[in-house]
Amino acid sequence: MSLPILPTTVVGSYSMPGWLERLKTEYFARRISRQELDEIHDAAVKAAVKDQEVCGLDIVTDGELRRDNMIDYFAERLPGVQTDHTSKKFYYDFYDSVVRGKLPMASLRLADDFRFLAAFTERSTKFCVTGPHSLVKRIKDEYYKNEEAFAMDLARVMNMELKELARAGARYIQIDEPYYSGFPEDLSWGVKVLNALVDGVDAKIALHVCYGNRYGKPSWAGNYKYLFPTILEAKVQQLTLEFARRGGEDLELFKEFPNKFELGVGVIDVKTHEVETPEIVAERIRKALNFVPAERLLILPDCGCLHLPQEVAFNKLRAMVQGTKIIRKELGA
Amino acid sequence: MILHVNHIPAKQTSLAAGVASTLVTTAGEGQVQPEILENLNVHLDWLQYKTNFREAIALRRAMRGDETLPWIEVGIDLRQVQQESLRTEFCVALNDTMDPAVCSRKRVYLEPFSPIRTGIIWRFNLLFWQHLPLWEKAVGQGFEKALPGGTSDANHPEAVADSVADFWQLCKNLEDQKQLPQEIFSLEIGVGTGQRAAAWLDRFRTLDREKGTGYYPRIRFLLADYSMATLNKAMEAVREHRELASFLSVDALDPFKSLSFLRYKILSIHLTNVYDNLPTDEIVVRDGKMYFVEARAYVPAATAVRISEAFGISPADFVRTVNRMLEVGPQHLHHTNVEQGVTFWRSVWDAIRLEERYIAIQSILDAPLPAGVRPALLENFVGEHVIDQRFHLSSGALESFVNTVPLLHPRGNLQVQDIFVTKLQDYGKLFRGPGKMDGSIVNWVNGALLAEVGAQTGYDVHFAPFTYRQGSRTSTLYTTHRE
Repeated sequence: MSLPILPTTVVGSYSMPGWLERLKTEYFARRISRQELDEIHDAAVKAAVKDQEVCGLDIVTDGELRRDNMIDYFAERLPGVQTDHTSKKFYYDFYDSVVRGKLPMASLRLADDFRFLAAFTERSTKFCVTGPHSLVKRIKDEYYKNEEAFAMDLARVMNMELKELARAGARYIQIDEPYYSGFPEDLSWGVKVLNALVDGVDAKIALHVCYGNRYGKPSWAGNYKYLFPTILEAKVQQLTLEFARRGGEDLELFKEFPNKFELGVGVIDVKTHEVETPEIVAERIRKALNFVPAERLLILPDCGCLHLPQEVAFNKLRAMVQGTKIIRKELGA
Repeated sequence: MILHVNHIPAKQTSLAAGVASTLVTTAGEGQVQPEILENLNVHLDWLQYKTNFREAIALRRAMRGDETLPWIEVGIDLRQVQQESLRTEFCVALNDTMDPAVCSRKRVYLEPFSPIRTGIIWRFNLLFWQHLPLWEKAVGQGFEKALPGGTSDANHPEAVADSVADFWQLCKNLEDQKQLPQEIFSLEIGVGTGQRAAAWLDRFRTLDREKGTGYYPRIRFLLADYSMATLNKAMEAVREHRELASFLSVDALDPFKSLSFLRYKILSIHLTNVYDNLPTDEIVVRDGKMYFVEARAYVPAATAVRISEAFGISPADFVRTVNRMLEVGPQHLHHTNVEQGVTFWRSVWDAIRLEERYIAIQSILDAPLPAGVRPALLENFVGEHVIDQRFHLSSGALESFVNTVPLLHPRGNLQVQDIFVTKLQDYGKLFRGPGKMDGSIVNWVNGALLAEVGAQTGYDVHFAPFTYRQGSRTSTLYTTHRE
């Protein structure tokens, strides 16, 4: 499926409806069954896909509405990780999870969720996976000698899963590693682990690094200088970074450190409910074009839309698409 | 009749027993109509605030839509009630229930029923802070003298020193991680006399020099208040640090509106005795059913006549004159005599009472919660086991909180010194306001609800007792980042 120039997509999550938050929490209170919750998730995902299509996005996701958060969706499925299912009351909280032995190889069954997405849209699709560096920051380790060893073994297990996703038809896979920004000193081994994770995976791989979006607020401050030059060793095709909230100063890094990455440029601030105008979006894209050519640029929000009300998320994405169309027209595309 | 004994001070047990005995005797002697008696709930309370908005005997009815529900609640303040007149007043109050027109003739209402947070008393509160110098001149002392201990806990030197030490350590940690911003923002909302800000900056300068870290010149200390009179006073207090301090007119309910350019940039935000002075609503649970409290302010008719005569106006012009004072300020109420306007203000404020009624609601979700609070996540806040409780919604405090935390740097902290109720069940142990503190309003703050809302916004909210002053009821709310 061919994409237009400056393809538009989301980082991963779409707005989490308040009613779904309540139903997820009802599940933890044992007031609805797992089967009922799965059916609710199916309906919610279809609605999220439809919203993205109506907004005009070129690449859609399942909105990550099945996920409680970016960690537990994987921790629950990872073989060898023990999760205490009584350890949270509110769905968005993190489980207490621990690994006490070497991780066995077994499927996480992520491809099932991808296939569901693919069955309900004609658009290009993307599937997002939390990276090992972020996972080891939240899953307690009582077996491996250090975080790097734990992360490397996670990469070994998850590499098989990514290959399964590719076999299921996932052409675009995004690895989320926001914790890089909180632990820049880990970056050197973090990139090694990343490369092991994506080794031999037949799909276009994006790496998303932001400053956190937990509860809709940043977890860390700083700038992207710490990524360079180490990140140039990453065997991914695309970086998706946040620029709307933080301003575009870090775009200079793409001039200072020439590279072949595509850039997914964040042009929508997901930490405010104020909806950008298409003109603001267009201006942000123009700025990015000063540093990265159009054929290597993708247009995204800064991060997931999880914490935005549905109406706000929808209007922001629609403005993003409209702003992108302004620039496509200027480029004669 | 069901008698609820909510609180008996240790030295008042005989009074409480006497009141209970009188009530039971009155009922037993057939002085209360049977249809009233079978629906009657009497609550014996001890109101902490000597000056408040309740009479010794207060009657409250409950509504569902336009229908008045049969049950009747009578609140008796053990602090105000006179044993010798109790029987008569109790019977009169119950008789008034059956004929609201009689009750209306005894009171001059200043407004119709409305949620408490939108009532006229909050316009009086605003008037106090806008015209603070006039009030202070009239009473002959600064407003902080009305506080327990005669001074704000905010200014306590040891508390300030500890706050500075924590802040310096935060700066140091950030510097070690190469994450300390060039400009180091600190914000104080509700600046009082400015003494805390001055003491904080003095101490920080000293510590910074001792450590040789060079942070002090990078400090940008923002003093924010909605009262220009207060800001002017604070400006004088921090004159030694004038180059580092900025003075901003900020609504404590929505600091983000004025300071959005500092989103995620402020490392420390401090408030003292602000939340307890912000508008709030109240929720009542009776027999497991929930009600929203509405109120209307009144002045007893006899008092309104007396105040009118003293001010030289017709009693018929009383309400209009009160509203005019709230619009133009007491200094413009009388052509030539400012003092007389202030006297009128103080007399009316002293006389104001609130008549309350309960509006039936299904759950807390039906109550008006501030924008930014996700009601869906609060539906279990009042557990099914709660069958009898009255608590603040702390609407203003919640609104202020959700509109303040977006200013915090990812590593920044919010600190609030105030009077918090940290467990919902503690509301049953004591009257928590509203009370009158000089010309302003004071309410305890629902810390338990704040903690729930804090969790929604990504902050764990903790409370620590304020240990710097013996006997202090103040506690300190502080936030940590929720993972």
